Amino acid sequence: MKILKSWLKDYIDIKLTDSEMAEKLNISGTEVESVTSFLDSNVVIAEIKDIKKHPNADRLRIATVFDGKSDLTVVCGAPNIEVGQKVPLAKLGAKLGDIEIKKTEIRGVESEGMICAEDELGLGNDHAGIIVLPNEYKIGKPLSEYVESDAVFELEITPNRGDCLSHIGIAREIAALTGRSISKTPISLDMNSANIKDRLSIKITDKKLCPQYMARLIEGIKVGPSPDWLKKRLELLGLKPINNIVDVTNFVMYDLGQPLHAFDADKIDGKEIIVRKNKPNEKVKTLDGVERIIKDAILITDKNKAIAIAGVMGGNNSEISEETTRVVIESAEFNRKNIRKTAKELGLVTEASYRFERGINSGSVEYALNKAAKMMQELAGGRIISGIAKEEEKAPNKTLEIEYEKINNLTGLDLSVSEINRILNSLGFEVKNDLCIVPFWRHDIEIWQDLAEEVARIYGYNKITPLALQEVKAPKKSTYYYKEMVKDALAEEGFVEAINYPYLSEDGIKAANLKTKDLLEIANPIQPENKYLRNSLVPGLLKSIAKNPSFDLILFFEVGKVFSRKNENNNLAIVSAGKNAKNEIEKVIENICVRFKIDKKYFNIKELTTNELQKFKIKKPVVYKSELNLDNLISLIKVSGEDLELKLNQKRINYRPVSKFPAITRDLAFIVDKKIESSAVEETITEISELIARVELFDEFTSDKFGVNKKNIAFHIYLQHPERTMIDKEADDIIKSVIKNIEGKFKASLRK
Amino acid sequence: MQKGNLHPITQYTREVVKIFESLGFDVFEGPEVDNEWYNFDALNVPSDHPSRDVQDTFWLKNGRLLRTHTSNSQVRYAEKNKPPIKMIVPGRCYRNEATDSRHETTFMQLEGLYIDKNVKIGHLFWTLETFLKKIYGDAIEVRFRPHHYPFVEPGMDVDIKYQGKWLEVLGSGMVHPKVLRNMKIDPNKYSGYAFGLGIDRLVMLKYGIEDIRQLYSSDLRFLKQF
Repeated sequence: MKILKSWLKDYIDIKLTDSEMAEKLNISGTEVESVTSFLDSNVVIAEIKDIKKHPNADRLRIATVFDGKSDLTVVCGAPNIEVGQKVPLAKLGAKLGDIEIKKTEIRGVESEGMICAEDELGLGNDHAGIIVLPNEYKIGKPLSEYVESDAVFELEITPNRGDCLSHIGIAREIAALTGRSISKTPISLDMNSANIKDRLSIKITDKKLCPQYMARLIEGIKVGPSPDWLKKRLELLGLKPINNIVDVTNFVMYDLGQPLHAFDADKIDGKEIIVRKNKPNEKVKTLDGVERIIKDAILITDKNKAIAIAGVMGGNNSEISEETTRVVIESAEFNRKNIRKTAKELGLVTEASYRFERGINSGSVEYALNKAAKMMQELAGGRIISGIAKEEEKAPNKTLEIEYEKINNLTGLDLSVSEINRILNSLGFEVKNDLCIVPFWRHDIEIWQDLAEEVARIYGYNKITPLALQEVKAPKKSTYYYKEMVKDALAEEGFVEAINYPYLSEDGIKAANLKTKDLLEIANPIQPENKYLRNSLVPGLLKSIAKNPSFDLILFFEVGKVFSRKNENNNLAIVSAGKNAKNEIEKVIENICVRFKIDKKYFNIKELTTNELQKFKIKKPVVYKSELNLDNLISLIKVSGEDLELKLNQKRINYRPVSKFPAITRDLAFIVDKKIESSAVEETITEISELIARVELFDEFTSDKFGVNKKNIAFHIYLQHPERTMIDKEADDIIKSVIKNIEGKFKASLRK
Repeated sequence: MQKGNLHPITQYTREVVKIFESLGFDVFEGPEVDNEWYNFDALNVPSDHPSRDVQDTFWLKNGRLLRTHTSNSQVRYAEKNKPPIKMIVPGRCYRNEATDSRHETTFMQLEGLYIDKNVKIGHLFWTLETFLKKIYGDAIEVRFRPHHYPFVEPGMDVDIKYQGKWLEVLGSGMVHPKVLRNMKIDPNKYSGYAFGLGIDRLVMLKYGIEDIRQLYSSDLRFLKQF
C-alpha cells in the first residue's frame, strides 16, 4: 500500500523527516517496505567559491562549487549566483524526477552537476533563479535534512488492519505516535432544493449482507479530465487517472478507506436500487468487459437488471461515460465474509473487495459519500440533489472491559490507569469508567489482549524488561536426536548429506517406475514438478548423482519424510557411485550395524541396472543404493544417552559461491611423511587462493620406493573464476604457489 | 579416505536446537502432511478471514495439505502434553510458490512454544535475546516490533542489526487465548509464547549464499564446502 506524505498532511502536521517517520511506523507495527523521497540524497549543500564567464555563451557562467569534499565545475545559467552563497547542488547520479544528472558538456565546457532552482527540486514553482540557502546549512549535507519535500511510503499492512489502507488511517497512527491529533474537516454541501426521495430509494433484502447503503444524486455534471493536483496524487499511488467522476471515487477510497462506486443515473431503470443475493447463475458483465456467471454474491440491482457486484466491481451497463450528466454515488458497507467469498470465487480481487474484506470504517460511510459529492461538484459542476437515499442497520460500537491489571501483568509495564487511558484515547478509543468503546474502524479489537498490544506498541516495546526463565529441566531425547546420530555415522564415513525436493514430477515417476496410485497427489501445484509427493528417497538421490559428473566417487545419503497415500515416515537412503562404490556402501552399512547393534539384514544393497542408469542419465558405470524405514530402524537402535549428544561441526568454513564459468583442472602428487593427514594438506591448498574452487584427494598409498615412512598423496585441483573464464597463465601461477607452499609447510616433494 | 559432510541446514538446525535444549526445550516433530484444522483453524486462521491468504498452500487431492509452518505442531503437542509445555519443532514446511533466488516451495522452520502459569512478554524477550546472543554474540542488537500473526496476541517480529541495517529474523508472540482453548488449556490460568524462525534464510546469511535453490541442488561443489 502506497502512502503519500503530502497527502497525510491533509490530516496532520508532520514534523518528522522521512526516515524518522519510517522508523516510527516500523516500530509501532506498520512495516515500511520502502521510502522514495522526492529529494534525492545526492542533492547536497554546496558553496560557490568562484564564478567565471563562459567562453562560448553570454548567458552562462562557470561556477566552482565546494561540496564538502572537492571543488567541482558547474555550468550555470541562473542570473542570481554570487560567490559565497550556499546553494543546492545536484551531484552526478542525482535523480530529479525522471532525470538523472550526468556529466555533460555545455557549449564546450564540462559540467559536473547542477545548481538547482525551486521547481527543479519539486519544492515550488519558482524558476527565476537558483535557491540561495541559509548560511547555517552545513556544506556537504543532503538538502533533504533541512527542507520538507514529498515522499512515497510503501507499507505492508497486515490483514487485521484494514483501517490502515487509507491516508487517514496512517495519519491516525502517526497522531497516536507523536501525541497529536488529526483534523478532519466537516463537510458542508451546497444542495439543490429538489429532494432525492422523488427520484431514488434503496431497498436491502437482508441487512446481514449489507448493513448500510447510501446514495446521493448529482445532476448536470460535465465529465472531463481531473485537475493536475488530483491526477498527480493518483499517479503517485500507481493509478491511472480516468475522469473527474471516477477519479474522485478512487481518491476518496485512498483517502478515507471507503470504496465508492459511481453509476450513470440515466442507465438505472426505475427509481429504486435493490441490494440482494444473486439468483442462480445470474450473469453480470463487469467494468473490465468480462461476463461473469454469479454463484454467490451480493448484487446491486435496479428494476430489471444487476448493475454491480457489490463490493467487488461495477457493471458495464451503468458505467460513467463522457455523455453522463447524472451520477449516483454509492457508499456502503457489505458483509466482510460474503465479499471475500465472492472475490475468491470469481478470482477477482479488487481494491474495493480487498478493503471490504478487511473491514471499512463503519462510522464514516456517510462522510465519505458527502466528501465525494462535494469534490464531484467542485470538479464537474452540477447540482447535488438534497437528501441521501439510504437504508441502514448499523451495528453499534463494541465495548470492552479494560483489564488494567492483566495488561500490566502481561506486558510487565507498570502503567497507571490514566496512562493506559491516554494511549487508548490517542488511538480513538473512548474510555468510560473501566470500559472502552472500540472505534468503528478497528474491527481487529476483540479481547483485552488486543488492548494490551495497542498500549504496548504505542508506549514502546523497547520499554519492556526481559525476564529470565526459571528452572531448566533436561530435555527428553526424541526421534530427532536419533536421526542426527545416524547422519553423523554416515558423514564420518565420507558420505555427503543431500536434502532433495520431496516432490516427483510425471517424468520422474516414469524414470523411477513408480505407480501414481501409490502416491499422494497435490491438487493445485503451480509448478508441474511439484505434482506428487515422493514415496522413496532414491529417485532424488539418483538425480543428485547425475548432477555431479565431475566427481570420481560420489557418496550421498538423505534422511527425510516419504509419503504413501495413508502415511508418512522418515526414510534413510544411501547411494554410492564410481570407483569403489560397492566397497564404500558396504563399509558404511557395516559400521552403522556394529555401532548401533543392528542386524545387517535390515539393509538391502542393490546395484542399479544399465537400464536404470540410462533413465536417470547417470554416466558412472557402477551405482549402488540402499533404502529403509528409518523410524523402524531407530526403534531397534541401542545406545546410551551420551551417544545422542548433538555434535557441532568444528571445521572452519570459508564459503565460496559455485562459479558458472568453466574450471581448469590440474593434478598434483606429493611425497610426504606417512603421519601427515591428507585432509590437512587439502585444507592448506584450498586456502592458497580464492580461485581454487575444489580440491579432491584421488590417490593415497605408502611404498618403500618413496623412502622410509613416506607416502604418496595425489589431488585433483579445480581452478575457477567467479566472474569469467579462467586463463591458463593464472592457473599456472596458482599451481606454482601451491607447490611452493606445500613443499615448505609439509616438507613435501612434488612427484613428477 | 575422505570425510563426508552434513548439509548446512542440518548443521545450523543443530546449533539452534542445542541452544534451546540448554534452556530446557524438548524437541518434537510433527507431521508434514496435515489437515486444515491443525495448520489453520485451530490457530485462529479461519478460511473466511483474509489472514488465510498470507500463505500459499499446497492442497492434496485427499483434502489434506502440506503444512505451511511448523505451528501445526502446537495444538497436536498440547493435546498429548499438559502444561508446563516447553518444546521446539524443527521441520520442513511448504509453500505453493513460483521459485526464484529468494523463494522456495520447501524450507526448514523451527517453532518454539512455552506455556505455563504467568508467562509474560518479558519471558519471550529474554528467551529470544538469549538465543540471538548465543548465535550472533553478546554485542548483537535486538529489537521487537509489533506484527500480526493470527495465532498470537500481541504478536511481534524480531529484528537484529546486521551490517548497519535491521533485519527480520523471527516471528513471535503471546499464544492467542483462542489457540489455548483449542489446546484445551484455560487461558485464565495459563499463558504462553510461541516463536518461529526460518533456518534457510539464516544459513544463507551466515555464509553469504545468494540463491536459496543452491541449498536443494545436491551440487557436491556446494555441499562439500560444509
